Amino acid sequence: MRRNFGPRTVIKGLVVAALLIFTLFPAYWMISSSFDARASSGGQSLLPQEFTWDNYIFVFEEGGFGTFLRNSFVVAFFTVLISGILALLASVAVARFKFKFRTSVLILILTVQMVPLEALVIPLFVQVRDLQLLNSLIGLVVVYLAFSLPFAIWMLRGFVAAVPVELEEAAYLDGASWGRMFRSVMLPLVAPGLVATSIFSFIVAWNEFIFAMTLLGGASEKFTVAIGLKQFFGLHSNDWGPVMAASTIITIPVMIFFIIVQRRLSGGLVSGAVKG
Amino acid sequence: MSSLLEREATATGTTGGRPPQRRRRQSRAQLIVRTRPWLLLAPALILLGGLLIWPLVRVFLFSLQDYGLREIVTGESNYIGFGNYAEIFANPLLWTVVLPNTIGFAVVSVSATVIFGTLVAMLMASLGSVWRTIVGSAIMVAWAMPAVTGTYVWIWIFDADQGLVNETLKNLGLMNESFNWFTNPFTFYAIVALNIVHHGFPFVAITVLAGLLGVSKEMIEAAEMDGAGPIRRFFAIIFPTLKPVFSVVIILSTIWDFKVFAQIYLMPGGAGSNREVLNLGVWSYVESFGQNRYGFGAAIAVLLTVLLLVITAIYVRTLFKEEKE
Amino acid sequence: MKKRYLPIAMFAIAALGLTACSDGAADTADTAEGDTLNVWIMQGTNPDTEAFFDTVGDAFTEKTGATLNVDFVQWADAHDRFVTAIAGGTTPDVAETGTTWTAEFADAGALAPIGDYVTEAGLDDDLVEGLVDSGTYDGDLYGMPWYAGVRSIIYRTDVFDELGLAAPTTWQELVDAATVIKAQRPDLTPFPVAGDAEMLTYPWVWGAGGEVATLEGDQWVSGLDSAKSRDGIAFYTGLATEHDFSTAGATTWKETDILDNFAQGTVAMAISGSWTPAALLEKAPDLEGKLGAIPIPGQTGGISPSVLGGSHLSMFNTSKNKDLAWEFMQLMTTGDFAQQWADQTGYFPGNTKLLQTAIESDDALVQPFAEQMVDGGGALPVTPKFGAVQAKKTTNAMIQAILSGQKTVDEATADAAAEMNDIMNGN
Repeated sequence: MRRNFGPRTVIKGLVVAALLIFTLFPAYWMISSSFDARASSGGQSLLPQEFTWDNYIFVFEEGGFGTFLRNSFVVAFFTVLISGILALLASVAVARFKFKFRTSVLILILTVQMVPLEALVIPLFVQVRDLQLLNSLIGLVVVYLAFSLPFAIWMLRGFVAAVPVELEEAAYLDGASWGRMFRSVMLPLVAPGLVATSIFSFIVAWNEFIFAMTLLGGASEKFTVAIGLKQFFGLHSNDWGPVMAASTIITIPVMIFFIIVQRRLSGGLVSGAVKG
Repeated sequence: MSSLLEREATATGTTGGRPPQRRRRQSRAQLIVRTRPWLLLAPALILLGGLLIWPLVRVFLFSLQDYGLREIVTGESNYIGFGNYAEIFANPLLWTVVLPNTIGFAVVSVSATVIFGTLVAMLMASLGSVWRTIVGSAIMVAWAMPAVTGTYVWIWIFDADQGLVNETLKNLGLMNESFNWFTNPFTFYAIVALNIVHHGFPFVAITVLAGLLGVSKEMIEAAEMDGAGPIRRFFAIIFPTLKPVFSVVIILSTIWDFKVFAQIYLMPGGAGSNREVLNLGVWSYVESFGQNRYGFGAAIAVLLTVLLLVITAIYVRTLFKEEKE
Repeated sequence: MKKRYLPIAMFAIAALGLTACSDGAADTADTAEGDTLNVWIMQGTNPDTEAFFDTVGDAFTEKTGATLNVDFVQWADAHDRFVTAIAGGTTPDVAETGTTWTAEFADAGALAPIGDYVTEAGLDDDLVEGLVDSGTYDGDLYGMPWYAGVRSIIYRTDVFDELGLAAPTTWQELVDAATVIKAQRPDLTPFPVAGDAEMLTYPWVWGAGGEVATLEGDQWVSGLDSAKSRDGIAFYTGLATEHDFSTAGATTWKETDILDNFAQGTVAMAISGSWTPAALLEKAPDLEGKLGAIPIPGQTGGISPSVLGGSHLSMFNTSKNKDLAWEFMQLMTTGDFAQQWADQTGYFPGNTKLLQTAIESDDALVQPFAEQMVDGGGALPVTPKFGAVQAKKTTNAMIQAILSGQKTVDEATADAAAEMNDIMNGN
């Protein structure tokens, strides 16, 4: 680093500070008021006035967020896992093989990403009903898989394409079967890409809101965090302290997950995007 | 290993690969090779077909029917031709409120997100590694905030009675009376845009940053020596190199912003009681589930899909054209 | 050769794991078989709903041997949840249905008629008439009257005493009182006009002599754009736009927001339901003794009618044991439990015998509501389509547009009336 405090450095410092404030302020505000005993009575200010855990206790005891968190973890875990597996298989097919209709398949995968989810609420509702999966987390996972797969395939395709073909051929020369090569050469090399795609599947499963609302309808013990929060807000719309505590609870896991995978992410995005 | 791969991933430009060459050329092995891609694709395609494409076809079929609660329960159909579409296009709400809101909002928030994200990426590229990590982590925090949570935080910040913005403005003496930011369509959408940009720019910034780090330093330095200013340099060197990155970022943001739903639906008045702020997504939902007019709602949804498909088509064309070159 | 199937096997294992994992919680609707009765009850009516239903559950088990499984549903989401449950065939055996929804769900073929059960139990003459009307569709009774409530005005007696004000009996007196409060107590909102609360609008429409909608021949005609209705609506919204008795925030308030703000002590007068004083005092104990209620004043005296609302218990067609369902409905709507429910919630029982005792109450926070209910109860149009009007938020949109200055009273009422006519007669 240069130790040069010229006017440009100062300006840059100010810009960075402003940027940090803008990006962090909502999170800060959420967390700080969740600990503020006076947040609900209009007495909050930039710093918490009276520190308290009451809002959190209230959220877990009255709000049932323990259950919601568990449900969301189950849904997110299986969505990430299964979509990772399926996307990997599919992306190998489109990146490594030349076959008839390859371009059509690619265009198809790209196009289905454009479908607005609200459009599918009714038919998917009917579909899930016919599968007898209403009010169950499995139904939700299946739907989220469909939402996260196109993007996952699209991104992984770039990673798979980037694995040098020579490595593969070397494995064949050593007498490995295709399956063997896949496991010992391909899989380790695209692992970072899997991490990057898992972020997106995770976000879908953790944040999605309309389908959770319609597919889980009457079963509040199956609610995921997003609709749990909506229900909680509906009941306590002016109790900002507990509402912010609940918001914090559902945000923290995502933040941890993001920060863990952050370093993998940037490379993944670009290879996925650029190769797109 | 991973960092090597990342570099490879950004640097190499080849796509696809050769099918594995086997020594023995038996017809059976060939058959396996030929069906293997389809075997690999099968689970994903089955899932997508059953849960995205078939439902999409059904939406279209619903949109041609007067499809209500009764029809859903009994499974009967009730075709009425293009009546729903006629009604939509005859509804002045579509032309005066819904379409302008949807398209106008997408244009504004996409450009704001992309421009802001790019500026942040350029700022990050010019920072030392310590500060880059700090800013990067802060950006992750903004990105990680779930849409529902983020929306509630912004609602509270702008709350008319207790919100921070009103309190601050009043304390500064800039405002005498509380202002309700959610009743006016412009301030309403300004808050939605703030929410969307805040949640959306990290994706742009991180993606563009990764691309920027791949742009060759020599070219930029050479341009600098030639006397090109920062803006010239951006448009002459950086932008052309990163064109594929930008096209992806822009198109994805467009899709996401066109489809924005929760961020509007959850805002005060956003679920239908303030007619001036409806967009296509919310309108479709409110008509379907509030009115039990699933056919009409489906027709609106088809309209939204068509709009997005047109944009997609343009995207696919530019993208595949570049790939062929 | 075997190895090639590995990925698929992995998928299968993952799927199995998934099934195993969520299995524990995956069954609600199907176990209704035989001896569990699934019931949906609205949340928030009774400050201590869960304790109440624990007792009911015990009594029910004792009586029938079956278990009671109660799910609590929020009013705000309830309509959507019923609709999706009806569409998905996952409805409970019995549910509390808002009076304006019963006809709608009956129309969709989701409810089972209960007229025969009522007759058999000899209850025909014991049911409150207004609730029977709204629970009847196509000549059959689908909604068992459970409880009823009306909205009147609650106010802060301490503020009125301090400023030497008397409770208003006409619209003009209401404005006068609010003007004094506004001048003397700037920390208070004299009379919030909530933009997202249709039920608070109708008293002013009816009070001015207007109608929400009337059946003329076989056509529904909305009366919201009549001169009288406009008068009432102009007065009501004028409290905010002209007299500034409300706050900017109230433009997007729901009824619960009024209650929350009242509990925080920032509101002087508000329209509020007969069920709210108990909840208010529980939320803000320091309001004890500072709370008064009056019927909504008429334009120049008398009472402006307010919606006679409430809930039915309805039996769904999906119920496998309808006799058991009826047992539960009877247990809830007659005798001790109906009485207890009314006492705890501040609602009036839907059973005429019990209602009589409530009306004779001399509690200052019950009597005015009882008066409103007997002398100033209004009914919304009884048609399945009115539920759709409510879901479209026609009235809310109208009020909100006026409050925020997007439309004039004339424009907004004309638009709302046209929309109402469309929905109620069309499609």
